[in-house]
Amino acid sequence: MNFWSGVVEWFTSASSWEGNAGAVHRLYEHVAMSGASMLVAAALALPLGIWLGHTGRGGAIAINASNVGRAVPSFAILVLAAQVWGIGWKPAFFALVALAVPPMVTNAYVGLQGVDAEVREAARGMGMTGAQSLWRVELPVAMPVVVGGVRTAAVQVVATATLAALVAWGGLGRFIVDGTAQRDFVQVFAGAVLVAALAIVTELALAGLQRLVVPAPLRRRRPARERREPFVGLAADPQPS
Amino acid sequence: MRVRTSRPRRLAVPVVALLALAMGAAACGDGDDSSGGSSAKGSLTIGAFNFTESAVLSELYAGALRSEGYTVTIRPNLGSREVVSPALERGELDLYIGYAATDLEHYNNAAGEASADARATAERLRSRLESRGLTALEPSPAVDQNAFAVTRATADRFGLRRLSDLAPVAGQLSLGGPPECPTRPFCAPGLESKYGIRFREFKAVGLGAVANNALERGDVDVTLILSTDGGARARGFVILEDDRQLQNADNIIPVIRTQAATSEVRTILNRVSAALTTEELAELNRRVDDDKADPDAVARDWLRENGFTD
Amino acid sequence: MRWDWVTTHLDDIGAATREHVVFTVVATLIGLAISFPLALVARRWRWLAAPVLSTAGILYTIPSLALFGLLTPWTGLSRTTAVIGLVTYTLLILTRNIVIGLDGVAPEVREAAAGMGFGPARRLFRIELPLALPVIVAGIRVAVVTTIGLVTVTAYIGQGGLGRLILDGLTRDFRTPLVVGALLSVALAVVADVGLAALQRRLTPWGRDQ
Repeated sequence: MNFWSGVVEWFTSASSWEGNAGAVHRLYEHVAMSGASMLVAAALALPLGIWLGHTGRGGAIAINASNVGRAVPSFAILVLAAQVWGIGWKPAFFALVALAVPPMVTNAYVGLQGVDAEVREAARGMGMTGAQSLWRVELPVAMPVVVGGVRTAAVQVVATATLAALVAWGGLGRFIVDGTAQRDFVQVFAGAVLVAALAIVTELALAGLQRLVVPAPLRRRRPARERREPFVGLAADPQPS
Repeated sequence: MRVRTSRPRRLAVPVVALLALAMGAAACGDGDDSSGGSSAKGSLTIGAFNFTESAVLSELYAGALRSEGYTVTIRPNLGSREVVSPALERGELDLYIGYAATDLEHYNNAAGEASADARATAERLRSRLESRGLTALEPSPAVDQNAFAVTRATADRFGLRRLSDLAPVAGQLSLGGPPECPTRPFCAPGLESKYGIRFREFKAVGLGAVANNALERGDVDVTLILSTDGGARARGFVILEDDRQLQNADNIIPVIRTQAATSEVRTILNRVSAALTTEELAELNRRVDDDKADPDAVARDWLRENGFTD
Repeated sequence: MRWDWVTTHLDDIGAATREHVVFTVVATLIGLAISFPLALVARRWRWLAAPVLSTAGILYTIPSLALFGLLTPWTGLSRTTAVIGLVTYTLLILTRNIVIGLDGVAPEVREAAAGMGFGPARRLFRIELPLALPVIVAGIRVAVVTTIGLVTVTAYIGQGGLGRLILDGLTRDFRTPLVVGALLSVALAVVADVGLAALQRRLTPWGRDQ
């Protein structure tokens, strides 16, 4: 049986999907871990980033947060977390939260800062308080950039959760680590395909969300060059896993 | 219109120079794949598995070869046998220090030929290796088999002294081991076929100190250990007796490419094998695992004490 | 943490760091060597841009462990395997940034250059590339930092740079080499990021943001 027929067989046989070691369960673990860590990270990062952007404070830290965060090797963070929290889901969770926070802080800050000064003044002129201006005017305008940060963080989390299999956690990375140890390359390949697919789905879903949160009045066709993702100064590049 | 190219240009020269320097460093970099210099006797590369004992054994045999003038490179932590064996066959390594019964079952696709007789097992191993351009040397009296351990608390709670005691309760327990355990005949599949043991789940916690930690913390209920694991005994784990003889003659044995196995190399390696005992090996492991000594340091001590070096 | 281990193993630590740096530099250089022509091709024949970037993008999402593991039957547990994998992950960033950087050159500048008699090659190397340099360096910065992280993972195929120390610590349950390896790889990445950010700033004398 050659490699490709082996891959097809893996994907089409029920045993690959069922049970505690099956793909469905691993997928569930992976999504649950990614989702949970994203929620906690967002709860920490978004209020902070939004507040910093709204008040205009801490700019240097906020902007450099994502640079430093992106620079930090995820595997290194994972093993350091395992030193503190042992093996299993805990180091994975804390490491993923740590990795997800910086891009969301930076993008929230930049998004809020990017709201035109005139728009802010107009809001004040209309008698809104700072908080009202934030909720009703600034946030909606900044939303696409904020969601962009969430998107980058989410893809990074999904990718890095793969590595957590190296510290005895589960998730889709299990297929890759176990397959490598057992020299079962069909399993490795299948795991890689599943992770890549999940990452792409995450990216597309959040890209869609990013387009949806553009406030209706601001939706207009922008020239191709402007529509391209800003890469400089924003957290637009997740690390590969 | 004058375009400002001058500043980037001025930076370009030192940057390019730096890069060229780095490329030069890379090209003639010594890295890990050479131990510096070559000797008249020739050089060998030993591959080690990803657990402590393999590092220790590799250093023992390497040290003996080096004292006779060979240049030996050790490649540590390569992975499981499933990784090391193909590397040996590809010629990336010259030898690894294996275990007779487990190696036999690896090369015969788990045909069940291994027995408790070390010589016979080694002979069968040799015959299986021949077609691959490999051979096995003399088996050492030192043995390291798979074993399974539980904490004292677990043993008392379920009344566990032997592996067959596990069969009725295994469904409530989790097994810990290296990722290849579910496919190894002397690991999970063997437990099932010989003892009818099926665990609730398996967790890839690794092997050695990492797995022992997991057992102590309760991340797993039962863990695979190596019978020479001094740390497991020191922590008071109960090692379950292999009453139905699942494990066989896992004597230490070098597996080597036939081309690299000159008569002098064979003599040196066999001398080391003959001098090594299980107790000594366990003690060396313990010093590395618990005292955090370096494998090459403990190997040097053993070689000196046993007359291989001065 | 055993500080005495650190002092007695300084040469091991140094060798691991050197190996780490060499892998990073080599992979980035090869990545540039491949991405540059790829970017030129993608700009010349625009319809190719999407497939080229998509392919690089898909390769980017393959978990590195899987990529390295899948290469080993062909190229072994060797430096070659590590470099092939590392280079693959630089392609998306570098190609994309070279394209974006070159696209960012104002059409008037290009026209002026053409008007001055610059042929396409001269225009590229003397006008467009220097102007695109800040963006390209931004891409190199991300590529370098990403690669530093990935080099640690190559420990699992017998290479690894500082990842060797991490793996040794993991295998032996020995905190010291693990922490040293992990912290040093973080430090290396941060230093590279800061250094390249400074370079990027120096290349934008007209004061562009970041």
